[in-house]
Amino acid sequence: MTNKRSGHVILGINVLVLGYLPAAWKTSLLAKDAFIDPDYWANIGRTAERGTLDALFLADGPLLGDPAYDANPIRLEPTVNWGQVATATSRVGLVSTASSTFNDPFELAERLLSWDHQTGGRAAWNVVTTRGVNAARNFGMPDIPFRDDRYDRAREFVDVVRALWGSAATGRDIDFHGEFFDIKGRLRVPPSKQGQPIIFQAGGSPQGRALAGRVAEGVFAAELTKQQAIEHYRLVKNFARGNGRSPDDIKILPGLLLSLGSSEEEARRRSDDIHDAGPPSYSIAWLSQAIGYDASTFALDEPFPEEVLGPVKDSQTFLGSIGFRESIITQIRKTNPTVREYLKQTRYTGSGHAGFVGTPEQLADHIEDWFHAGAIDGFNLQPDRLIDGLPVIVDELVPILRKRGLYRHAYETETLREHFKAASPTPSF
Amino acid sequence: MTKPYLALGLAGPHLVELTESRTLLSRWDALPVAFSVLGIDRIDGSLPASVTLASSAAGATLAGATKNGRFLIAAAPQRDHPYNIARRVVSLAHLSHGRSGLLIGVRDAYAPEGPAAGPAWGGAGLGGGAPLNAQTASDAAFAVRALEQGWPYDSIIGNRETGILVESNRIVHVDLNSTFSIAGPLNAPAPATGASVIAWHAATVADLPPADADSPIDLMLGNAGSVPVVALGAEPPAGRFAGILLRPSLEQSVGELLDVAERWLGDGFASIPPGGTLRNALDLTEPPPLAPTLRAAFPAPKPHVSL
Repeated sequence: MTNKRSGHVILGINVLVLGYLPAAWKTSLLAKDAFIDPDYWANIGRTAERGTLDALFLADGPLLGDPAYDANPIRLEPTVNWGQVATATSRVGLVSTASSTFNDPFELAERLLSWDHQTGGRAAWNVVTTRGVNAARNFGMPDIPFRDDRYDRAREFVDVVRALWGSAATGRDIDFHGEFFDIKGRLRVPPSKQGQPIIFQAGGSPQGRALAGRVAEGVFAAELTKQQAIEHYRLVKNFARGNGRSPDDIKILPGLLLSLGSSEEEARRRSDDIHDAGPPSYSIAWLSQAIGYDASTFALDEPFPEEVLGPVKDSQTFLGSIGFRESIITQIRKTNPTVREYLKQTRYTGSGHAGFVGTPEQLADHIEDWFHAGAIDGFNLQPDRLIDGLPVIVDELVPILRKRGLYRHAYETETLREHFKAASPTPSF
Repeated sequence: MTKPYLALGLAGPHLVELTESRTLLSRWDALPVAFSVLGIDRIDGSLPASVTLASSAAGATLAGATKNGRFLIAAAPQRDHPYNIARRVVSLAHLSHGRSGLLIGVRDAYAPEGPAAGPAWGGAGLGGGAPLNAQTASDAAFAVRALEQGWPYDSIIGNRETGILVESNRIVHVDLNSTFSIAGPLNAPAPATGASVIAWHAATVADLPPADADSPIDLMLGNAGSVPVVALGAEPPAGRFAGILLRPSLEQSVGELLDVAERWLGDGFASIPPGGTLRNALDLTEPPPLAPTLRAAFPAPKPHVSL
């Protein structure tokens, strides 16, 4: 390949509590309550730092899904969780998801900047608008606002938060009057080592991408194919340009679900074993939520009904992620699998987020390919099970990437903002 | 006569000073005081200082960087919602092994007021809002306690044979409908160390919380409570108290506070051995569990087979 990109990729880890697969908790390597054990979390932080990784990411929402078979719905509050991990680490970035729908912008701005200060400038806020009626009912609301309303609020919410972070540096009050918020005041939190937290945006809806282009410095994307990823990469970078920003000001990191082994066969066996140890109703329920149809009514050995593959009937009330849905429908149309085949295939190709099953060497090839193709600035890697999956990334994948000149040998920067700035610039397109 | 214990009341600048210094953290962690309040000036009627930190951010640092010290984070339902407060309280309890608790306040000195019609939580722009008064704060404390208890810790069974991690049918909706309408459940289990201590600050009897047989308040700080506040530099008050809360001025440093605390602990105050939970350190009883009539949040899980 000619005109190879210079510099290194960004590597984040999406810490889906114990791992993205529901049965991750069943390993004898973990105590039954590892998800609330500070030593478990500190170990994740220290392991990531051993690999000079850029960031650890935590999803979040103010609601509880059924934790009967899976630790994924269990959530310590991310700024507290990462605040504790920050004391066991010194360089790895820490990304907390927080809802713009179910917080007050003053309180959240103060909490995030305080946490950024305490981490030595390693914090990022992943802005989400939160889906689901169960979250609304924890805040006295009968249902969540429509998608457009949530994003209108998110836009204003982010503006208020940024203005308040600015007030901490200037010492001057803001006097904000908008559609949703009226705030006169200032933060008295000391500015952090990186000034203020990085802003992340997750998701692939048009409103989400527009928000990212305007304010985000990182995007946690969902991409199944390289071609689609290249298109979205350019789209979001162009949104940034359209907002008077440099494309380098925004880093694109798609998620990548991982099962790694010393051979492809071993990796597949590991993936199969952890999948088989989890409940099948999960993949059917997940698919139902993701595509907006009750998949338990589909004949398992028939192809997907055509009406399922059409556009979302009402994007305002659709509870899933539009970006995930788009990825899934594209994938189904490509191979026209039966429902059972699709549910089994997604063990290897991912669902919403792309999946990867193979060796660290093959994963390095994949990262290198997408990086030089101009599809990514890095990946947000999502191990099947973190306790023994993260060490493979750190001790086997990272050294391969280093040998290829794609990753740093030691931390050369301190703050998360500096880590991002030191990464490879955006290729021309 | 039982000696009173000693507690420390840290204001905004002290939080910044303490969490930035390994030496101070180490001294703080070794001190046999009962607890420290992180950001007492946020809720005790003080004017805001020049700097502060969100109390839970300082608490997270203490949870990770120390092993023994106990603390209360300060929060008020002015621009904060009980569901969000409960999440931070419970998370800190897990990560500190029960060394933490909550000091609930009526107002937050560092936050702008919300709309006049509903200054408590009304600024979040979600409709509604409530008065900034003791009833609202008390309802918030009640919600935090109920949410924390809604998911019993011992429902985490981790049975690898049946594939059941949590007996989730034992998790309940709290279905609160007071100042705050909250369905629950919280998205983290109750701490293995028991319910977090909830404290209230009352400088005078007018500041006391509403009388309520179901009050979740475990501990009353301030001159109208059992743990009066003494300014650093003043003498301990006469009389019998459970404890004394030593509070430096904004100009006095954490180092000066620790110097005086060390001296007082050697002279008439009870040492509370470092380590262990805040509830045990204060010899407080565990609150009763939630009513068994609350509705289950999830169906009873069943053993499963693969696809």
